[in-house]
Amino acid sequence: MVRRIARLRSGRLALGILLVVLVLAVFGPALAPFDPLAGTDAALAGPSADHWLGTDYLGRDVLSRILAGSTVSVLGAVQVALIALVVGAVPGILSVYLGRSFEWLSLRLVDTLIALPFLVFAVAVTALLGNGIPQAMFTVGILVSPVFYRVSRAAALTVSRSQYVEAALLSGASIGWVVRKHVWAKVLPPLSIALATTMGAGFVVVSSLTFLGIGVQPPAPTWGGVLASELQYLSYQPWAPLVPTVLIMLTVWAFNLLADAVRDVTGEAGRALTRPVTTPVAPVTQRTA
Amino acid sequence: MRRLRTAAALTTALAASLLLAACGGTAGGAAPADVTHTPDPDKPQVLKWAIDFPANWDPVVSGSGAQFRILALAYASLTEIDDHGVAQPGLAKSWDYNDAGDQVTFHLRPGLKFTDGTPLDAEAVKLYIERAKTQENSALDGDLGSIASVDAASDTDVVVHLTQTDYQLPLLLGQRVAQITSPEAAKDPAKLNTSPVGAGPFVVKELVTGSHAVLVKNPDYWDAAHITIDEVDLSAVPDPATVVSGIQTGVFDFAYLAPSQVKAAEAAGLDVVKQPGYNAANISLNINKAPFDDPRVVDAVRYAVNRKEFVDKVTFGTGAATDQPFPSGYIAYDQKSANLWPYDPEKSKALLAEAGHAHDISVDLVIPTEQPAAEIVQSQLAAVGITVKIKVQPDWATPFFAKDLALSLYGTTGRESPVQTLTAHFGPQGPLNLSSPYVPQGFDAAIALARQTPLDSPDYAKNLQAATRAGLESQALVFTYSQPNLFVKSPRVSDLPAIPGQVHWTGVTVAEK
Repeated sequence: MVRRIARLRSGRLALGILLVVLVLAVFGPALAPFDPLAGTDAALAGPSADHWLGTDYLGRDVLSRILAGSTVSVLGAVQVALIALVVGAVPGILSVYLGRSFEWLSLRLVDTLIALPFLVFAVAVTALLGNGIPQAMFTVGILVSPVFYRVSRAAALTVSRSQYVEAALLSGASIGWVVRKHVWAKVLPPLSIALATTMGAGFVVVSSLTFLGIGVQPPAPTWGGVLASELQYLSYQPWAPLVPTVLIMLTVWAFNLLADAVRDVTGEAGRALTRPVTTPVAPVTQRTA
Repeated sequence: MRRLRTAAALTTALAASLLLAACGGTAGGAAPADVTHTPDPDKPQVLKWAIDFPANWDPVVSGSGAQFRILALAYASLTEIDDHGVAQPGLAKSWDYNDAGDQVTFHLRPGLKFTDGTPLDAEAVKLYIERAKTQENSALDGDLGSIASVDAASDTDVVVHLTQTDYQLPLLLGQRVAQITSPEAAKDPAKLNTSPVGAGPFVVKELVTGSHAVLVKNPDYWDAAHITIDEVDLSAVPDPATVVSGIQTGVFDFAYLAPSQVKAAEAAGLDVVKQPGYNAANISLNINKAPFDDPRVVDAVRYAVNRKEFVDKVTFGTGAATDQPFPSGYIAYDQKSANLWPYDPEKSKALLAEAGHAHDISVDLVIPTEQPAAEIVQSQLAAVGITVKIKVQPDWATPFFAKDLALSLYGTTGRESPVQTLTAHFGPQGPLNLSSPYVPQGFDAAIALARQTPLDSPDYAKNLQAATRAGLESQALVFTYSQPNLFVKSPRVSDLPAIPGQVHWTGVTVAEK
């Protein structure tokens, strides 16, 4: 699929940006030219040969703080997406096969989760369980999971009513075999799109929370945290918030571009995502059998 | 999915708008049009004040120094201070001590009344002081230890019987401790805490907690003749960085100003007011908890603190280093104790090594909100080998005042009474003494002598400074810097009286736009 995405211009752009972000997330702390926590006397200094992006209010090198903060920012988004995927997709598929009670219960639970504002809820949970990215992202992941539930359920419903699946079941195939052999292939494309989109949304959430000082304890650097602190000193460095802002914007944009590219390369299956997911769609043809 | 995608797509707009909104706060835009301080006599004078909205409007439970300034709009205090910090008449027009100095009679102005119509007489003052001493959630009971009982000798004479000779009462019963509340309204303290009823220069017309309040001039205020502002509109400020743009655009006329915003305010042509005050910040240590139960570790912290860094990076040069619970120049500041613990990281490291803790000390620094001072403490202690983990805990006040923390930060706005300031920091039950009931040796005797010294005695300053010297033996506090009370105002607002630590609106005018 990656090759097919790379054939698209938007796909190449998305992959290029995300590759850079990935490198920053993995090697960012090692690439930092200075200790991101070590202050100097040169507070709020402008860009120089030593400090390419200047220094912050405690004289710390801003470039080093951004590089060191990449890991937390990216990992948070990944955590949100993976938790949402597991918590949402698995029950979404099972809701089609595990009977009416499970279906009713899971649908009501999803309705409840959709009603909760995830950012506010994440703030509340960190107040309750302690100020940390894992608990905040776990909460957001759970609250975002209805997206995956609905996408996977819609796709699973489509497949479950197709004649080849009914034939397989009549022939004695187990539900697990059917899911692995037929349903998963049908669910994967829309889930990929949802995953890319959720990564982008997760990035927004991580940046928003760390912007508010939630999820990390000072002086740990994050992109949102660097942005928040730079905003307090605009009269000294009016340009300073641009760097973390642009990084956040580019990353989220790249995830959305990637989602579009995945949709384009997965064709009919991918476009199913855009259909109303609360209404079972008509059975598809047997060409995937 | 649509919701997610929409949220993601909004990122760009969100980030851009954040930036743009913040940029509005710094633009060194043109100064506001020339204005005079002459108000239009035909139009009401309205002051729009951006504030950190008080959580409590009952002065008995408020406890926050900065918020007494806001509560002073609605409440009048028994006494006032002048620009030298000397006690002056307020609701009480005068006071007399008995010969032993253990009884003081305050003579109230005649005909005073609260804004709910209740008479403000000696009985109302007595009930207020008794409530402040006994109400379960009172933040003032610790300050009233000298008061044994209160009698209403007549409608206007309040007799305060003391447990000891204490000449501080006229200073103590000022804005910080004795903003008198209506006894009728105080029958329901919970309601009073959200609907203030006092006898201050203004009366609350509308109050939405955490959002805004509208106060109008109180014609029955004892000094109403000198209040020219007709209405005060209070608004909660969401972000200090928006204050300058708020005043620049006329949304507000007056606001507290973060030191980091001084440059922007001056560039915008606004008036930056450096109101005098008694502010002092400290690092609070709990010697009842490890690692500070070892005096050598405490001394190591004392020598590890570089106060200049706080002045440069927290106050942006507007403040000054201090090693006492008030700025230098204050009457109780003890010059003999100045620089008792100079910045000497090598000595600090040696002390830690001697204590057998060269690199193995780790301690939590618990604070209520993120603040650069905490990061400075962390880095300075890290430089000598003490690992500090910062914990932002919104409910910080509960463990702090319960003395459950090992390490924290505190900043006081000071008190009218220097003895009250000293006992608050060094006294066995002092709210700012994180190591209660620890009290430095000799402090009790020294503070008793200061109390017993009349305010006009030639020995007053000397005895106060001796009490400060005794208090500074405390291992529980390391003072760092003092910052003036910074405000920004529109040039339409005339100068404020320079009353230390307070915000007085007496004689202040607001010119028409």
